[in-house]
Amino acid sequence: MRISTLQLYDAGAARIGDVQSALAKTQQQIATGRKMLSPSDDPVAAARALEVAQSQSINQQYAANRVQVKNTLGQVDGALSSVSDALLGIRDALVSVGNPSLSDNERGFIATELSSRFQALLGLANTRDAQGNYLFSGFQSATVPFVETATGATYQGDAGQQLVQVDSTRRMAVSDTGQNIFQGGGQDVFQTLKDMVTLLQTPVVTPADRAALTAGTATGLADIDKAINAVLTVRASVGTRMQEIDSLDDAGATRDVQYKAILSEIQDLDYTQALTQQSRQQLTLEAAQQSFVKMASLSLFNFLR
Amino acid sequence: MATNILSIGQSALTAAQVGINTTGHNIANASTPGYNRQVVVQSAALAQNFGFGFLGQGTQVSTVQRVYSEHLATQVQNAQSGKTGLDTYYAQIRQINDMMADPTAGVSPALQDFFASVQNLSNNPASVPARQSVLSTAESLAARVQGMDSRLTEIEQGINSQVLSSVSVINTYAQEIATLNDAIGKAQRASGQPPNDLLDKRDQLVLELNKEVKATVVKQGDGDYNVFIGNGQPLVVGTRASPLVAVTSPTNAQRLEVGYRASNGSTVVVGDAGFVGGKLGGLLQFRSETLNAAQNALGRVAIGLASTFNAQHQAGFDLAGVAGGSFFNQAAPVVGASTTNTGTASIGASITSAGQLTTSDYHLSYDGTQYTVTRLSDNTATNYPSLPQTVDGVQISLTGGAPAAGDYFLIRPTAKGAAGFSVALTDPADIAAASAPGAVGNNTNALALAALQTANTLAGGSVTYQGAYGQMVSQIGNKTRELEVTSAAATNLLEQATVTLQSESGVNLDEEATNLLRYQQAYQAAAKVMQIAQDLFNALLTIGR
Repeated sequence: MRISTLQLYDAGAARIGDVQSALAKTQQQIATGRKMLSPSDDPVAAARALEVAQSQSINQQYAANRVQVKNTLGQVDGALSSVSDALLGIRDALVSVGNPSLSDNERGFIATELSSRFQALLGLANTRDAQGNYLFSGFQSATVPFVETATGATYQGDAGQQLVQVDSTRRMAVSDTGQNIFQGGGQDVFQTLKDMVTLLQTPVVTPADRAALTAGTATGLADIDKAINAVLTVRASVGTRMQEIDSLDDAGATRDVQYKAILSEIQDLDYTQALTQQSRQQLTLEAAQQSFVKMASLSLFNFLR
Repeated sequence: MATNILSIGQSALTAAQVGINTTGHNIANASTPGYNRQVVVQSAALAQNFGFGFLGQGTQVSTVQRVYSEHLATQVQNAQSGKTGLDTYYAQIRQINDMMADPTAGVSPALQDFFASVQNLSNNPASVPARQSVLSTAESLAARVQGMDSRLTEIEQGINSQVLSSVSVINTYAQEIATLNDAIGKAQRASGQPPNDLLDKRDQLVLELNKEVKATVVKQGDGDYNVFIGNGQPLVVGTRASPLVAVTSPTNAQRLEVGYRASNGSTVVVGDAGFVGGKLGGLLQFRSETLNAAQNALGRVAIGLASTFNAQHQAGFDLAGVAGGSFFNQAAPVVGASTTNTGTASIGASITSAGQLTTSDYHLSYDGTQYTVTRLSDNTATNYPSLPQTVDGVQISLTGGAPAAGDYFLIRPTAKGAAGFSVALTDPADIAAASAPGAVGNNTNALALAALQTANTLAGGSVTYQGAYGQMVSQIGNKTRELEVTSAAATNLLEQATVTLQSESGVNLDEEATNLLRYQQAYQAAAKVMQIAQDLFNALLTIGR
């Protein structure tokens, strides 16, 4: 076939240009470490990478949510542990009232102890978290849950339970309402304490007085036992939730590793392959350049003297 | 006899000179674009009968002709317009493709950050910093969406100016071809010989024209080129060129369209599909096929997000116990009434269901008795006796006046969706995280807002926000890849066609070097013949001494 000289140069330049741009692309892949430089390199994988990245980001957000839940539940558990200690102290004090040799004066000491226990319990019931929110006032987290009255304490919160998304399908309660803990199940620990203080401050003169004291103490003990039960029940549930968080953490961490693996598979460059390809393209480029120069230098005019 | 020998020698000398001249011309134009090599057509002069037989009278040059194949040239022209069209389309779509290439810069990470902050808010509904962070990430999401949209708008404006320059280049070529038709006709009539270099120039102009738009040449009997483009629109007829005009679209003031002047002086808009191939065809095809779709797809994500997020937000209560307002500003559909409308009707469009929106634009026309709404993505037309009507989540209504027969409107439900997407709230306390008033720790509505991230709310409840955005990325990626392949194939096709044409018509310098030697020797030989004729004549003269 006839070859036009112009075509010879054009084709030579075009081939060298092709190899050069392929080499530049490989270089860019190596420099960024990414197999996919733009969506057109693999459109399906590009959309999939976006999806997986979103799943990964949501999964990481759930992990952050769980840290928050763990902190709050830890605080709740700490407060409740102090509450149950206080209740056990109150119980001991009430048991000691049963000693018939106690004088009115000595019962007065116990009443004073119960009064200060009342304040301690009230303080625990009004515990705040690190952000200054009350732990036990339901959705009314800015409102003091319990305010002391003459006969006990009134609950100012509501029955709301704050839920946190801890996994794609699991919303976990992070708080329990103060009403449920301190005034639920047919007992009101604040009222019981006030009643007990009043009872112990009443002088025992007649046998009827003694009988009233004995009966009142028995009721009080029973109420405190109910209160202890209520607190332990809540603590057990808090403990279970904390355990669940731990297992969700494990599952979340596994998923995170999987997402990372998928993303890496979609996006990351196989360096061995890329570097091999680069040297192959380099070789081709050099060959194309050399052969072009050789061919271009061949001309009949070189021999016409 | 001797004088005859001298004139034979002289004819050979002339022919050799013409040969050297032509060879020199070929060498000089070896790299001139569009040059076809020329060859000398030489024949023996008419012989003379001397009784004893016919005696040759030397040689004569009948013509200098170019080696040219109309068939091959047409193939190259077609391949050229195909390649330039695809290359232009590819260069344009790559801008969008590259814009979406960086996984850290797209809309996706901003969307994820926004919903992460909503989750954080659900953990601390009363916390002002958590609320502020929702507003800040929403602002940055809106900025990202708007930024991407303004880049797309920039590309569209770039297309306007490229269309303008392409039209002006086409008109220049058309005028030059018409002028050359005239010049070639005159030259040919005057000499009866082909004006090779003018012919080359005209063919090269046709090739250059094909880089701008696909043009078909119909050769007239007298050798004039009549050039047609688009749907058989005459661009050059004989010595007259009919220029194209770039005009503002009747229904969209931001857009330039291409048309021509009709015989009655009015401008007829041809429409984007009317031009194929070449730079102009590629630009128009990219604009109607990809750019609008991309901008609408982004707009749909923005409108869908604004609409569904607002609906959930309005179901809640803010820190002060007041019912939630709009969280995002949502853009309204754009209605463009044609500037050619003669009626007084004004048409309104509003979004009634963001989940039903498509990424298409709609054409509304009135024929005097009924309305026709055409979805432009698939040209589905539906007739309605009256308005208002709801089509794909958009309510189209007559807000005033009355239409005249032949009036039409362009309705673009999602075109400004991304540009008009912004955050409506400014006070963090106004975020409605609670499901009931007066409970600062109530996070129920915040949880519901956060859950929207993974809910299938768009495209008739089939995809998430992220999914709809992902679809757009994937579509752009697919189309870019397709163009990468077809444009490479078109380049190959053009290369092959050019190689074939060049192997026929191109200059080969080695061949010309050979010709140079051949004509040089012919010249020397002719000179020798003349010298011998001189010697013979001299011999005759010496007889008389």
